[in-house]
Amino acid sequence: MMRLLAMIGAATLGGLATVGRMALFTASTFRHLVTQPFYGREFGQALFQIGFLSLPVVGLTALFTGGALALQIYSGGARFSAEAVVPQIVAIGMVRELGPVLVGLMIAARVTSSIAAEIATMKVTEQIDALVTLSTHPMKYLTVPRVLAATLVMPALVGVGDIIGILGGYIVGTERLGFNAASYLQNTVDFLEQRDIVSSLVKGAVFGFIAALMGCYYGMKAGRGASGVGAATKGAVVAAAVLILVANLILTEAFFSI
Amino acid sequence: MITISGLTKTFGNNAVLRGVDLHVDKGQSLVVIGGSGTGKSVLIKCIIGLITPDAGQIIIDGQDVTRSGHDNLLHRFGMLFQASALFDSLPVWENVCFRMLRSGQSRGDLRDLAAEKLRRVGLGPDVADKFPAELSGGMQKRVGLARAIAADPEIIFFDEPTAGLDPIMSGVINDLIREITTEMGATAITITHDMSSVHAIADQVAMIHDGVVQWHGNIGALDQTDDAHVRQFITGSATGPIPTLR
Ligand SMILES: Nc1ncnc2c1ncn2[C@@H]1O[C@H](COP(=O)(O)OP(=O)(O)O)[C@@H](O)[C@H]1O
Ligand SMILES: [Mg+2]
Repeated sequence: MMRLLAMIGAATLGGLATVGRMALFTASTFRHLVTQPFYGREFGQALFQIGFLSLPVVGLTALFTGGALALQIYSGGARFSAEAVVPQIVAIGMVRELGPVLVGLMIAARVTSSIAAEIATMKVTEQIDALVTLSTHPMKYLTVPRVLAATLVMPALVGVGDIIGILGGYIVGTERLGFNAASYLQNTVDFLEQRDIVSSLVKGAVFGFIAALMGCYYGMKAGRGASGVGAATKGAVVAAAVLILVANLILTEAFFSI
Repeated sequence: MITISGLTKTFGNNAVLRGVDLHVDKGQSLVVIGGSGTGKSVLIKCIIGLITPDAGQIIIDGQDVTRSGHDNLLHRFGMLFQASALFDSLPVWENVCFRMLRSGQSRGDLRDLAAEKLRRVGLGPDVADKFPAELSGGMQKRVGLARAIAADPEIIFFDEPTAGLDPIMSGVINDLIREITTEMGATAITITHDMSSVHAIADQVAMIHDGVVQWHGNIGALDQTDDAHVRQFITGSATGPIPTLR
């Protein structure tokens, strides 16, 4: 019994310590964001890597999910003869929830993992030490460009995901479920409110921030050797995914309660 | 130029440095020898500020860096890492001129400067546009060396500069290090296992063993010393006071 309590206590303390270190890391990121120098070239590369190169995976995920969503709503709605709501529910479902969350999780898989692995490799091969000896702060050179780029580009990715998701529903709706093309689009556009779209983009920015920050945090604190890189990558992806889902609930509550 | 006193550093329960005292004068070349895992790299990293020592004092050019930090000294340092530590996302020339990339000089000029530094370490201009992963270990080492000397540092640290190089290239690197210290008047601390390097580079030699400086003296005194640790190290003998099981 004592052992059990001790284990729970140790786990709690460990968890709190991690939260504390993440908070300090976040504060340090902001501090280095607002002080010179700013590494523009690295920022540009991060925008390209995180934004442009993520488009295929975001597009595919959204397209197929939008299509499946349309089928589900149609068959579910048929139980109480509400098949007609497919365009509206696809739009709301994609824009409010599935778009940001799916894109966020795909970015956690694709971007967080690669940031963590890259920075952890730099750590274990002493490249981070080398940066310091060359008067370059690793937070400014590595963390700030990636976190800033992810935060700025993710709303765009989520926007693309929302549109392609709705497109997926539209294709299934018109080709498979017999909806009229023009009225499907009209219903979608009429139904969406500004609040839906703003919440979607804000979620994107927050999720992008989390995804890049976790990659950098776990990469920077990687242990030694190849196993250090593996552990950093795994820890980063898990933390990013969980935090994105938690943040999603909080943001949904903030935007849509009442 | 550099005075170290009572330096200690422990990782977990591994007491690596247990009170290191060491001194190097300006323009002198100190070579640190010692078995692998004795904390030579840790010592250099403490001096350059990458590792914070647990206790002790490091004074560089009159400044107590254990109090004031290293930030204002970093531009006077150059360091070659044991495993080169080249930035593998950047081409070789940007590695070499990394410190100058944001100094306002044109990229074209810097590329020429890099080619010049690469020539000094025996690498042709075609290497400049390659990426570190495309080079052999020995070539990476020389690129690391070029990066360390690119900004004409006053104090240079070389962590095993000739490890993994063939004897001829080792000779080239040894000569280069000697040249840099004599021509530029730089102060150098070199870690090596390679006795030919010791003789080629050193003014002073310090041997680390058991977390302390076991022996320290002029290069001329090295071969005359009757210190059993030093004798075992320079003769490469398996029997002696240094245990072979570490
Ligand atoms: N960052 C670190 N964390 C934990 N242990 C370390 C660290 N750096 C070095 N060590 C340990 O310190 C000891 C000395 O390492 P090092 O200075 O690299 O030896 P060498 O004399 O071969 O250069 C080794 O046992 C190594 O495992
Ligand atoms: Mg070493």
